[in-house]
Amino acid sequence: MKFTITREQLQEGLSAVAAAIPAKTTLPVLANVLVEVTKQGLRLSGTDLDIAVSTTVPAEVDAEGAVTLPAKKLVDIARELPSGPVRITAAGESRVGIECGRSKFKLLGLPREEFPSFPAVKFDGAWKAAAGVVHKLVGHVAFAASTEESRPILNGVLWELRPDHMRMVATNGHRLAKMDVPAKGGSTADLIVPPKALEQIRRLFAADEALEVARSDNHIGFRAGGTLVFSRLIEGPYPNYEQVIPRENDKVATVDKAGMAAALRRMSVVASDQTHRIRLAFSGGAVKFSVQTPDLGEAQDELAVTYEGEPLEIGFNATYLLEILKYMPTDEVRITFKAPERAATVEPVGWDDPASYMALVMPLRLVD
Amino acid sequence: MTTGRRILLADADAFYVAVARLVDPDGAGKARLLIVGGAPDRRGVVTSASYEARAYGVQSAMPMARAVRLCPGATVVPVPWEACADKGREIAAVLRRFTPAVEQASSDEFYLDLSGTERLYHDEPLAATARRIRDTVLAETTLSLSIGGATSKLVAKLAAGVAKPRPGSPSGGVHVVPPGAEAEFMLRFALADLPFVGPKFQERLARFGLRSVRDVVRHERETLVRWLGEREGEWLYQRVRGHDAAPVEPDREAKSVSRDETFPTDVDDDDALAAKLLVLADRASADLRDGGLVARTVSVKLRDADFITRQASRTLPDPVRSDRAVYAVARQLLARLRRARRVPARLLGVALSQLGAEGAEGQLSLLEREAGGIETERDRTISRVIDEVRGKFGPDALGRGGAQGR
Repeated sequence: MKFTITREQLQEGLSAVAAAIPAKTTLPVLANVLVEVTKQGLRLSGTDLDIAVSTTVPAEVDAEGAVTLPAKKLVDIARELPSGPVRITAAGESRVGIECGRSKFKLLGLPREEFPSFPAVKFDGAWKAAAGVVHKLVGHVAFAASTEESRPILNGVLWELRPDHMRMVATNGHRLAKMDVPAKGGSTADLIVPPKALEQIRRLFAADEALEVARSDNHIGFRAGGTLVFSRLIEGPYPNYEQVIPRENDKVATVDKAGMAAALRRMSVVASDQTHRIRLAFSGGAVKFSVQTPDLGEAQDELAVTYEGEPLEIGFNATYLLEILKYMPTDEVRITFKAPERAATVEPVGWDDPASYMALVMPLRLVD
Repeated sequence: MTTGRRILLADADAFYVAVARLVDPDGAGKARLLIVGGAPDRRGVVTSASYEARAYGVQSAMPMARAVRLCPGATVVPVPWEACADKGREIAAVLRRFTPAVEQASSDEFYLDLSGTERLYHDEPLAATARRIRDTVLAETTLSLSIGGATSKLVAKLAAGVAKPRPGSPSGGVHVVPPGAEAEFMLRFALADLPFVGPKFQERLARFGLRSVRDVVRHERETLVRWLGEREGEWLYQRVRGHDAAPVEPDREAKSVSRDETFPTDVDDDDALAAKLLVLADRASADLRDGGLVARTVSVKLRDADFITRQASRTLPDPVRSDRAVYAVARQLLARLRRARRVPARLLGVALSQLGAEGAEGQLSLLEREAGGIETERDRTISRVIDEVRGKFGPDALGRGGAQGR
């Protein structure tokens, strides 16, 4: 193995895979990056066994070969090297020499055979989408997934691929986010993807890249340019979320997002640390906010809104509402209700985008 | 900083006996030889005994049948649980007038942290404060306390043991170990006297010739670590010198609510066990609601006839409080335990943990109507109604159909 690469390109490749390499691991080889040198250039790979990332960067290759090297040390060396060509050569079994200008290193690694093999995902017949579209789906939906371990299925984001559209849905059982975007071609599939893998997609692929998405029985693969991401899929079935989306909400409030968020943040100061319970009273042209926390105090606020329907008093976890507002893409949002113990919907108003987006949140029971 | 702490352990003398006498002044109140606990013909154990009965060798946790053989003339009465809880609360209320840092360690043991009260009590010696506390509790609750004082919880607890009245040797009821004298004070104890040194640990220690505090202090820290491992070696090294940094935790809340039953005769029938489980789930969930709590973890404990104890737990996505939900989960757990080993059972228990305040939920669930929701609004309403009926007509007014013939 013998090749020459610019420091910048080495760093670029390493930063792509380093995020997939676990900081602590019981399997020593997982702390290493797999370095493979072929005629195509330098391929770097890292994995924590849940997610695997692999990227190819150009290099001047003199001799092919492969080895695994401690990722953190290689990243630190690449960062500290002077700018200039870096020569990397095999120096015996699982050992490489690194030279750049007058700096010289010898680094011990592990044989490539110890590195886990990548999931066998074939990209023939892959779905194709602009990475930017996937970014948009992930960026508006993934936040709603559960982080609790008790229901693993809710830790994932449901990705529905259909001939004419794609949809992502996530929920923790208390709130839900859902977005649809038009799409062309491709077959039908329901994938439940760990948010950690989707975060890698957002990080690694530029919005204008054409992303290929493929699956095997229990893995999903993403490919664009010279970079590949694989992730384990969460095994379904996903709960029937369609059935909880309210269709009969007859009370509609149109509110200024910034004004509502500001009032919610103010009320949160005196809300219970555990429940974040706040009370909203809609009637006529206003919503009155109030919060009362035993042993702490109380607060009230008011905001002008457009409201149609019978007056309504409803309780919410302020954190859930604030989070949903944060991801709403428009200055105005529409909130609909049926009753104090039924789901409320939140949607953007006047969003100039082919996508459609909504969030749901279940109220908190009001205790008087 | 742990030096200079002023910690007391107040322990009620023969608490269950004293309360049993208060509750039944003409019966238990007049019996000199009194044992409190479960009935001897139902495999009951001794909860507590009068000092006179203890002179016959009766000890707590001993099978009642054996206790009655040792002390033939003794009167045996059941534990007056509710009165004990009430009296415990009365004692805690008095103690809190002396310091807000009161931790109830058990129904009759209380740690008090009086650090920083020197100015408040005009530099009164700790022993004098302890005596004032003891007199006040005695005057207001008629219950007598033994109080130990020291710079740590460990030494305070051992000092309280020294302060305890013994048959034939009445004591002042207060023993304070002054700061700096802890190591010397510790020398009188056997290792078995230290909290957390149980029979198994004692056996291990004995293999190295370690039976008393004196045996241990002779050895270097490194020797103990080599023999017992880093954690336990270090722990023992510190404890025998009276070092213990554990704080008095006034807000320590119950970590679990549990109910168990030792059967009069072993039970091997799955249906019979399920019926017992239903009663226990019902009681445990009633205790939970009584405390204004909800639980996320349900555990089932099964002790087989050969004393092998097994346990299974499940943590739920949302907290529960209804007997139906608790039983539904507990039943699956019991089935799992029985599948793994099906032999006659001696004891069955249900425990609820990962507790939260009832108001803390109230978050309605989106997916409740699906199979994922363990507990429905209907379950909660039924539980509330059951509690109301029992509150009015007594605990046995209403029970689950499956628990008939209990």
